[in-house]
Formats: sequence, structure tokens, C-alpha cells
Amino acid sequence: MGEQGPETSPRKGIANLPGVASFEQASAAGFDYRPVALMPDVKVLKIGGQSLLDRGRKALFPVLDEIAAAKDKHKLLVCCGGGTRARHIYSVASDLELPTGVLAALGGYVPRQNARMLQMLLAKHGGIFMLHDDFEKLPLYFRLGCIPIMTGMPPFGYWEKPAENSRIPQNRTDAGVFLSAEVLGAKRAIFVKDEDGLYDDDPKKNKSAKLIPRITAKELLALDLPDLILERVVIEYLQRARFCTELQIINGLVPGMLTRALEGEDVGTIISKA
Amino acid sequence: MSKLVSSDGRTHITSSLMRESLVDRKVIAKTNSAEEFSIMPDVTLVSIGGQSIFDRGKAAVLPLVTELAAIRESRKYKMVIGVGGGARVRHTIAIALDLGLPTGGVAQLVGAMEEANAVFLNALMAKHGSIVMQREHFWELPLYLESGMLPIVISTPPYHFWEPPPVEDSPMPTHGSDFGLFIHAEVLGMKRIIFVKDEDGLYDKDPKKHSDARLIKKTTLGRLLGEMPEELILDQLLFKTWQNARHVERIQIVNGLRPGELTRALAGEDVGTVIMKEKIDG
Repeated sequence: MGEQGPETSPRKGIANLPGVASFEQASAAGFDYRPVALMPDVKVLKIGGQSLLDRGRKALFPVLDEIAAAKDKHKLLVCCGGGTRARHIYSVASDLELPTGVLAALGGYVPRQNARMLQMLLAKHGGIFMLHDDFEKLPLYFRLGCIPIMTGMPPFGYWEKPAENSRIPQNRTDAGVFLSAEVLGAKRAIFVKDEDGLYDDDPKKNKSAKLIPRITAKELLALDLPDLILERVVIEYLQRARFCTELQIINGLVPGMLTRALEGEDVGTIISKA
Repeated sequence: MSKLVSSDGRTHITSSLMRESLVDRKVIAKTNSAEEFSIMPDVTLVSIGGQSIFDRGKAAVLPLVTELAAIRESRKYKMVIGVGGGARVRHTIAIALDLGLPTGGVAQLVGAMEEANAVFLNALMAKHGSIVMQREHFWELPLYLESGMLPIVISTPPYHFWEPPPVEDSPMPTHGSDFGLFIHAEVLGMKRIIFVKDEDGLYDKDPKKHSDARLIKKTTLGRLLGEMPEELILDQLLFKTWQNARHVERIQIVNGLRPGELTRALAGEDVGTVIMKEKIDG
């Protein structure tokens, strides 16, 4: 107990400064938190790893053309997925009995490689490769008319939480893309994949699967699908989002789809917070 | 052997996860195992509290420095020291939230305040072989330990701008320093963590506010989760994360204001509060 403890000097706090009192009650109802959207007009998009990058030139070049054509109209933050090399790493690493955090750190290499590939291809249009540590330079990149390109993976790495029944990191590139949009205060995150959107079953395995044009996070979780088009944590996060309240999934193999999504059209599937 | 397959327009590498959705529960369950490898099982993570120790200044820090120096001199234990941030972290959060910065923005800021405590401790311990381990030198930890040095790390996990939206109504970041240190120990396969605080251990309520608070000397994670005290000396998220952990077996909370307690805890004595992952006798 405190008073029975050894004699020592007290804790030195920082009292009587603005905000401290309100922080002490931050969790209490009535705390006046008025969040600021940092860069609400940025369009955060993810280029799928397995769905697009692993298809090579045929799938990727038309998407890059649309990005280059849109970059003077929109502020685009391009994030990359991993794909088959990430799957290979996860497979080998879990076979070697390595922990989730190591898988997450290793899984970061592939999307970073992919981002570097896109940078080379978009360099002539102002493509800039950026690391997590460059995030605060986004205003500069946009002011210069650049297209910043980064990994979709969040920087959790070795600090990724272990999951109950798996050693695959729960926060991968979908999570990183959503979280980038959320902290920037962007309303939508756009996921460019190789399917028209979210289906009630895997369209690659079931030809009669039906497209769901719009659904809420709650409805989606209630379906309790064994498989999902986005990482599960993203749907959980979406329900608690303050800014990024809509996820849009579009088919990058269909020409013009990305351009329409960037114009705000509800193409593909929209998963919304409520 | 792995080879390349491109029958469906995508080029794959053959592996147990080829073409698979990493969201499919059945697929990812294949990666689970009870035999996970422990990377550095004989290292103990020792956390020095920010508010509880550093913010008390010389009177609390110097005796602990003397004790740590003696422990290191004995060469009996391999340990990594984690430091908390204390009052400056709380102040950062208070100002940042008043300014309306988003949760990820707040998370981006707080680690710097812990860095200061890492530098304070390193300045005092340098002649005893301490070194601040920067995150990018993660895999140099074995080098530091094998050469007999005492690595000091900050606690807050590097979630930064990408801090997930908080579960509760409060806009505060969820993944704080207790959680960060826990994961640091867990990913390296450490078996035990010792938290050095300014209380004799874990109580059923905050002993600074309630004179009838009862010290819990020994308990298990299961028991604690079943009857979680409302005011806790460690973050709840640590305990929730521990449920899914594979390596950390024992978490001990000792009073750093009592000289010798940390040394006794490292020697395996049940001082302070001991929380075990598995069942204990009695």
C-alpha cells in the first residue's frame, strides 16, 4: 500500500496545463473531443498483390494509365498489396515455427518491393516511393504533383499481436490502407482487385455467387462468412472509424472502373460503417 | 521444392498458401502450431515504470541504477530493460486530444517521450554497459546480450499513424507501453516479464485511492480475466493479448522503491505479485 511504502520523493506530474484536466476525463462522456481531418481530400487506394500485381503487365498497365491520367485531378496515395511471394514467406516461416510478429515483419518486404516496382513504372508521372517515416511529407509530394507510393502493410512488424488459431498476421495490407485513410481523415478507401466487388461466396470457386453492391459492416459480420474479400480486422475497425466510413472494392481488370471510383461513383461494392 | 505456376493469369509460387485467401479461417488455421520456436527464451524483460519510477527522479532512479549495475555485474541473468514515458506521455496525449488530433496522430507522438527516459537511464548506466537499442537494430539484440551489455528499449509499439480506432468511446490510442513490452517479450519467445513499479504489486483496486485495497500475491491469467479489477496497475490489453500468446509464462510486478526486490524477482522469488499463464498449485 502507498503509505506503507518506502520513503521517497513523490511523482513529478505536469499539472495545471491546458488540456490535462480534460484528458483525465477523456474516457468520460461529455469530453469535448473535436477531431481534425488531416487531409480529407486524399484518395487512398490499394493495388492488390495477388489480384493485380501477380498478373503482371496485362493487368497492371491499364490501371497505371488510369492513375497517371487522374493524378492532376486527385491527390492519390497508392498503397501496394503483397501477393504470392508474401504467401510463400508466410508458408515457409510458419513451417519453421516462427512467431506471428516475425511473419508480420517478413511480410512487409513484399509489398515494399511491389511499391518500388510501381514507383519505377510511374516515375515519369511523378511516382515517389515512400516509407512509413515519410508519411508527414505527403503534403509536399502532393504540392509537387507527385504520386506517393507506399506499402500497404502497417508498421506493426514484430509488434503484431498473436492470433488465436493462426500465425498469419491479422493486420496486413488491407488494414494498413484503411488505417492510412482513417488517420488522414479520408472518407473512402478504394481497394482495386480482380473481382467486381464483394460476393456472397467466392466467385472464383462458385459461378453462381451473387455480387453485393452495398452492405454495412454489421450486416457483413452477421453473415459470418468463412471467407471475406478484405481482412477481418478491417471490418471491425470500420465500425469504430471516425473518418474512413466507407470501403470500396472495385475490379481493376475492367477499364475505367478506377477512374469512376475516383470520381466518387458507387461502382463495385461499398462496405459502410452503418 | 517451390516452383512458379501461372495457369490462371496470375503467377504463383507453389506453397501451402498458394492461391488461397488469407482471410479463410480454415486456410490460416493450417499455420497454427503448438510447437512455436522460442527465439530468446532465457532473456527476461524488465520494465521500469515511467510515472512510477522515472517521474520520482533521483530518489527512485538512483537506487535502481545501483541495483541494475550489481545485477549486470553478477552476469547471472540476460535481460532487456524497457522504459515507460510517464507524465510527459500523459501530457502529450492531453494536449494532442485537446487539439483534435486523430488517434493515429496521438500514437505517432508518444514514443518520443519514452526515448527521453531511455536516454536518461542510458546516461546513468553507460559505464555499466548499457545501450539504447533502436528499433532498426532489432536483430542486434543477441550481439548486445552475448557481449554482456544491458540493452534499453522503449515500450510503445510502433503502430504510429496506423493505430487502429479505439474500442472505447475515448479517442486515446489502445496500444500502449504495457502491451508494447509484452509483445516485445512474446515475439522473442521470452518466458518472463518483470514490471518495476511503485506499488508492492497488483491490488484488487488502486491502493493510492483506497486504503482497504488488497494485494494479490499470486494468481493466474485465467483467474484474473474472470475477475478483472476495475483499476489495474497494468493495461487490460496486455492480459487479453496474453491469452493468445505462446511464450510468456510469468509476469511479475515488484516495488522498485524497495531495494533488492528486482534482484529477488530475477532470482525467481515470488516477491510482489506473480501472475502465471497456467494453473498454479493451491
